[in-house]
Amino acid sequence: MQPALTIPKEEQSQPPLRRKRLPLSFIIAGLAILGAVGYLVYANTQANAVYYLTVSELKNCTSAFCTTQSVRVAGIVQAGSIVRDDQKQTVSFVMTDSGKSLPVVYSGIVPDIFQPGITVVVEGHYTGHGPFQAQTLLTKCPSKFQSTVKS
Amino acid sequence: MYFSDLGTIALILALGFAIYTVVVGILGATRASAPLVTSARRSALVVTFFLLTASASLIISFLIHDFGVSYVQQESNLAMPWYFILSAFYGGQEGSLLYWALMLSIFSAIFVFTSRRVHTALVPYVVATLMAIEIFFLIVLITASNPFVRLPVTPADGIGLNPLLMDPGMLVHPPMLLMGYMSFSVPFAFAVAAMITGKLDSGWLRSIRRWTLAAWSIQTTGLLLGAWWAYHVLGWGGYWGWDPVENAALLPWLTATAFLHSTMVQERRGMLKVWNLGLVIASFALSIFGTFEVRSGIISSVHSFAYSAVGPYFLAFLAIIIVFSIGLFLFSLPRLHPEQEFDSVISREGVFLLNNLLLLGVAFATFWGTIFPLISAALRRQTMTVGPPFYNHVNGPLFIILILAMGVGPLLAWRRTSSRVLWRNLAVPASAAAACAIVLPLAGISDIWANIGFAVCSFTAGAIVYEFWRGMRVRHSHGEPYFLAFNMLIARYRRRYGGYLVHLGLVLLAIGVIGSNLFQIERDAVLTPGQQLNIAGYQLIYLGNIGYQTPGVNTVTAQLQIWRDGSLQRYIYPGRQFYLHFDNQPTSMISVTTFGLTDVYVFLDNWQGASSATIRVFINPLVPLVWLGGLLMLIGGITCWWPDRRSRAGSRFITDPDLSRPSAIYRPVAEGNIPTPSIAPNKTDADTVGALSEAATQSGDTCPPDRVLCVKSFAPTGGAANVPTPLADPDGTDSVGASEILRCAQDDSAEQRRSLGIPVPQTGCCVSIPRPSPQRSEAERVSILRPAGEE
Repeated sequence: MQPALTIPKEEQSQPPLRRKRLPLSFIIAGLAILGAVGYLVYANTQANAVYYLTVSELKNCTSAFCTTQSVRVAGIVQAGSIVRDDQKQTVSFVMTDSGKSLPVVYSGIVPDIFQPGITVVVEGHYTGHGPFQAQTLLTKCPSKFQSTVKS
Repeated sequence: MYFSDLGTIALILALGFAIYTVVVGILGATRASAPLVTSARRSALVVTFFLLTASASLIISFLIHDFGVSYVQQESNLAMPWYFILSAFYGGQEGSLLYWALMLSIFSAIFVFTSRRVHTALVPYVVATLMAIEIFFLIVLITASNPFVRLPVTPADGIGLNPLLMDPGMLVHPPMLLMGYMSFSVPFAFAVAAMITGKLDSGWLRSIRRWTLAAWSIQTTGLLLGAWWAYHVLGWGGYWGWDPVENAALLPWLTATAFLHSTMVQERRGMLKVWNLGLVIASFALSIFGTFEVRSGIISSVHSFAYSAVGPYFLAFLAIIIVFSIGLFLFSLPRLHPEQEFDSVISREGVFLLNNLLLLGVAFATFWGTIFPLISAALRRQTMTVGPPFYNHVNGPLFIILILAMGVGPLLAWRRTSSRVLWRNLAVPASAAAACAIVLPLAGISDIWANIGFAVCSFTAGAIVYEFWRGMRVRHSHGEPYFLAFNMLIARYRRRYGGYLVHLGLVLLAIGVIGSNLFQIERDAVLTPGQQLNIAGYQLIYLGNIGYQTPGVNTVTAQLQIWRDGSLQRYIYPGRQFYLHFDNQPTSMISVTTFGLTDVYVFLDNWQGASSATIRVFINPLVPLVWLGGLLMLIGGITCWWPDRRSRAGSRFITDPDLSRPSAIYRPVAEGNIPTPSIAPNKTDADTVGALSEAATQSGDTCPPDRVLCVKSFAPTGGAANVPTPLADPDGTDSVGASEILRCAQDDSAEQRRSLGIPVPQTGCCVSIPRPSPQRSEAERVSILRPAGEE
């Protein structure tokens, strides 16, 4: 491209070798942003990462984090184990996976498709004994791309 | 023979023609053979025809209830209304891939029909790239995921669509999002063509920018509809959950947004070519990643899409795209050196670069969070996940800075801005922010983040409104009423003011997000008739449950009254619906009532007989602004993109090597008794052209003979004046904000002479160029204003 107004020839054809590097101000501003992004990602990963386990992994867990930190646990809701308490708005049920089972107590809104046999993910604290106190209960939709087969 | 057989045959034929197109297109390009290229273009249209045939076959199979087709049996049943049966076309995996392929072929056809304005060297490569992508989808459709597979026995009825998808949102959200993913193919094809041919001229930029804008608008629509759907169907009180599937749709949108900004730097200053190509490639790769992620089951998502056999296909395709693009990239790198250098970080391009880094920062954080389970599993042998707090804490601050940059950017000139001008321009938005920062805490908002967020939003809103006001004031001073001036401003400078509309929309959306995230109130209650729930000044009185049946659906609703300030506002009926075949998966009927800018969101959780209900109520402040802002962003995006006769005339002036044609800008000026437009010496860019055409349109105005229309330019300081920036923005729609047109200023003949191609010191704020006389040759005129970029 050549500029709009006629300008002296020597200015039009600068040899590419003479290109200076990015001005320092750009480098500083860029590094500041990259640093901020890096810091935010790192710090929040540290703060918010949650272990994701299956019921059997939790049961077999020997690390300290399983009982000291909030964990997410995935398992299948056992048939006939769901007990709802409408007054306290709690639901208790048993999650199973690979032969291990885990009793769960959850208070809050139960998703539409919560029912025996589906996979659920609960998040909360596990003390190592007694029921798992779930703060959140996520159900997995059967699928967006496949409808459930009628039983 | 069934229609499904016709569909399979059409797919195979489409594959054949797609392969033919790629081979002939590349041959035609390398041998510079016009007949071969024409043949490739035509055969791309044939591919479109066969994909239309295949899609029609599937739709007919649905409409005639041919349950012998496995896909039809899975996705539809006799009880479904016809519009949901039509939407079942893309409701399952096979159909959604067919829809993808169909849309790609339609976009290819649109490209073929509109490619006359694209450089001829690029066309065969663009068509070949599009068809290469099409080949991949056709192979998947024919082998792993064929929608036309027949069952051994034809069942009497089908299963039907998942009830969650039986929603009006289903009719529009998935097709928009899939089309959005798909539409990033066209900019990618342009990028590939440019890397092969080395033609990254202004015509290429215009084409790729328009196609990216189209893709951006479609993806914006898809994301908004998805948020709307989640809010009104899923019942958790929010509209965006940072779910991996949502993130996947956001990622290409972020990189495309970055591209749309940095491309202006390339347009104006010939820089960032490598960066821009990278962004286009990244957008496409991310859109394929999204399509892949949704179908592969590699990342556990709440959506949890079915694991399917097409995952490995997409992974392989993604790998091919990345390897191919990087290879081409390295091949073309030597040709992509920048034409100019960066001067100052306090400049328009500086802000664009900042914007790019921030958008990529958001994209990186989102991508990181999405694939964190894979990363942690690989590194620590322990799967870990991050939830919404991670995204909110990382992306929230980045978006706040981004919005601040959005307000500052238009106030800065290209290259560099003097601090005096900057401070003067900052006055209005800074006052708005200060007012906001003072008023809100007094109004009882103590949350520090909300105050920062709202202040930044009002800063940017102030800057944008001020920009509109300045433009309107200038036009008003030419005698236009303010309303007309507003409309003309947008109509004439679509890109600039369309962009401002997008920004204003994003600001509104951000206000809505801040409000609903930080000030949401939530309460649950088990109610018996007559009992009430008080929340944030609203009283909800429960009356009882009502049940009713319609064919295929059983419905239960709770009847409640909303009272406010002692008066009954309305009755609401949150409920549940049970669909035939899906009676263990009820869907929610959520009641959302909007009072001013606050949503009262009521969800029926559980019920006992006719006289007990468990409800959950959310008070969601400012959520209506999310939809309003989203709509404004969409309108702005379409405004930028919308074809404009004037801009085409202007672009011909820039790019058409045919010098004998009179230019759009000069034509009206040369006619009649029109005052001579004048330009500032250091502004040969869009400001000037915009001002010239502005002056030309004011031809009805009369100035005294010794006076002219004049552009006053707030010149940047420093020695930059001698090197005018190239004229690269023909329609002047992205001009620097810091200029305004003064009417009928003093004509200065000395400056007039100097402006004829000779650098002029920038001290004079107002000079004029002589009116082009018939005596001067067209070529000489063009030497004044034409960038002479390509030819």
